[in-house]
Amino acid sequence: MADTMGHSATTTRNTSVVIGFCLLAVAPQIFEFIWSIGTIFGWGAGRGPATVVISHATALLAGAPGALIGAIGGDTKKASSEVLLALIYSYPLFAVAILTIFMTIRSAQDYVGGIALMALALFALWASSDLQGMRGFSFGAGTAPRMFGGLLVALGAGIALTGLLTDGPAMAHYAWRGPLFVMVSIVFFALAIRPLGVVVTAFASFLIAAMGTHETRWVEAIIVGACLTLGCALLFPYVLGLPMPMFPRFLVQ
Amino acid sequence: MFDLFHNLGLGFGVVFQISWWSPWWLYGLSLPISINILMCLIGALVGTLVGVLPGIGTVATVAMLLPITFGLPPVGALIMLAGIYYGAQYGGSTTSILVNIPGEATSVVTAIDGHQMAKQGRAGPALAIAAIGSFFAGCVATVLIAVLGAPLTKLALAFGPAEYFSLMVLGLIFAVVLAKGSVLKAIAMIVFGLLLSMVGSDIETGASRMAFNIPELADGLGFATVAMGVFGFAEIIRNLDAGAEMNRDLVQQKITGLMPTRKDLIDSAPAILRGTVLGSILGILPGGGAVIASFASYTLEKKIAKNPSRFGRGAIEGVAAPESANNAAAQTSFIPLLTLGIPPNAVMALMVGAMTIHGIVPGPQVMQKQPELVWGMIASMWIGNLMLIIINLPLVGIWVRLLRVPYRLMFPSIVIFCAIGIYSVNNAPVDVILAGVFGLVGYWLIKHDFEPAPLLLGMVLGPLMEENLRRALLISRGDWSVFLTRPLSAVLLAIAAFLLVLTVLPALRAKRDEVFTESEN
Repeated sequence: MADTMGHSATTTRNTSVVIGFCLLAVAPQIFEFIWSIGTIFGWGAGRGPATVVISHATALLAGAPGALIGAIGGDTKKASSEVLLALIYSYPLFAVAILTIFMTIRSAQDYVGGIALMALALFALWASSDLQGMRGFSFGAGTAPRMFGGLLVALGAGIALTGLLTDGPAMAHYAWRGPLFVMVSIVFFALAIRPLGVVVTAFASFLIAAMGTHETRWVEAIIVGACLTLGCALLFPYVLGLPMPMFPRFLVQ
Repeated sequence: MFDLFHNLGLGFGVVFQISWWSPWWLYGLSLPISINILMCLIGALVGTLVGVLPGIGTVATVAMLLPITFGLPPVGALIMLAGIYYGAQYGGSTTSILVNIPGEATSVVTAIDGHQMAKQGRAGPALAIAAIGSFFAGCVATVLIAVLGAPLTKLALAFGPAEYFSLMVLGLIFAVVLAKGSVLKAIAMIVFGLLLSMVGSDIETGASRMAFNIPELADGLGFATVAMGVFGFAEIIRNLDAGAEMNRDLVQQKITGLMPTRKDLIDSAPAILRGTVLGSILGILPGGGAVIASFASYTLEKKIAKNPSRFGRGAIEGVAAPESANNAAAQTSFIPLLTLGIPPNAVMALMVGAMTIHGIVPGPQVMQKQPELVWGMIASMWIGNLMLIIINLPLVGIWVRLLRVPYRLMFPSIVIFCAIGIYSVNNAPVDVILAGVFGLVGYWLIKHDFEPAPLLLGMVLGPLMEENLRRALLISRGDWSVFLTRPLSAVLLAIAAFLLVLTVLPALRAKRDEVFTESEN
């Protein structure tokens, strides 16, 4: 598969894909780090950012290789969750990223899709690694997740392989405007519904979502938004009897 | 036979059940109303609306309306949701014919000949034939459900865990075979769905699985949340980047003369019959459903026609056959759900969600323990079809006017409605964010050409499959060969394997792709 002739040409094309895979390989660690920043301000429970960075860095650089060598030597000491994450999730993805450098990708859509599914499955394998396996002939809590996780790794690899062997579409173009504003609108709704109530939240979210397209005309959007808010404020709590806060908390009290 | 009439009688009794409504503004006066008829009407109307409007699919709507059914009695809720499903099949044809925009995936093929007919000034007959075909198919399918229901339930009661597991494997394989695009990708989506279904606490040991100590995940991912994200939000985001206003070439001239001519009727009668038969069969098969039925019946009509060149230029058979087929399939797909408790497609998977919300575990026991629920729903389908044919034809003008609502106003409304709906399921803001995340996941899946429908099916069947697999292996004392030594289970698995092999064979693959590409040119 490795096309030795057009080597330099393919490397340049693959760099962004390789960088993407490397980022994907440490995505859970980065996510936990961002999450841990919140603890500085006292939000949520968890480890502080410094502990997170140190524990993951040592696991990635020292712990995992150590455990790997230990396992070959027959040492079956129980590894910590960070080391397992590095071993089960990050290392295989780094390996894939390195292999990608030498590949000619014929269908980026399939190849990247397959690898991403594989990453997901590896992550699931890590997440279910602390669960009990088979006890005699009865299933433990972890048996089925590991079974399907393993299957998905294989399927993801298969899809990635078709992306290498057969010609197909390249990566599709992603728009940013629609997804961004729709997501901001959803997140705003989730955060504001409790303190601000349906009326304010629904109207504001409507306007945020409306920014998702450049065709929006504001007068029209405000009128429709107001009507929709009124409709929802009547429909859900009164007609359907689903309890939810109507007005901002500070106004009601 | 007597049983059949008895059961249908029971069903109609449930639908026509009268309750007295005394609102405060009537000062003590009571009005007789039938809640179930009302639910059926609402379902049919909402379904038609959804079918007419491009950009909101049936799955998204059923997911959106799940929370609304909480306050209703279970029978009413299911009648309404069923109404949405078959109502959408009617509504989809209206826009296909008049505007050349299929409101639903199921009426994509109807647009080919239907819109040509409309351009030739025969929109009326096209709409009428579509409605008549749908009504006929709906009636046949209703009878079929009633006839097949009881015997299939008896069969299902003979099933042990091993048979159930094999049946579900067969169902998922069917979903793969009938899905569009790559087989490998469809299987991967199913397994992804199975993995998602395992988040949360384990049924047997209660151990928390893949929940990362997040309390909101301890109960597992909500089915409605994932469905709304992957189908609702993802569809909106995708439509937004498709960009600019869709080209709506509306047939402006007034629709005159709904009545089809004698020749139209004679031409379309056999097509309606063939469409109904094909649709009914494809609907029962797991994984099939209405989309594939309409494609297949159009292909069939074209193959057996004396003069195939008429197709694409306003052949009435090209409207009659797919419209009857999709309606028949939409209804017969209730058969596996009601008798075996196995949803054959994504909408039925949501119906399982609706049933569980109301505390009903779908499966053969439902028909025996709650006959009024099952037969009430079956009877309501016939009544719903009757309503649709009466409502729809006179209302065509209103539906067409609705099409002029621009997407720039529609999509924020859908976003807000979805968000409030998800929030109201558990009063949990986290669910809304999760649905948003799954919206992005769905968008990514679309971009990489993965079909989200098998994912949903896998997610619904996941817990059932795992439970039966565990039970089967426990009974057989860990012996995996139990799936092959029990005859019924072996037969089911053999069919599944055979199908999978067939799909991978190049000759059949080409045929399968041909059916799907039919509409795209």
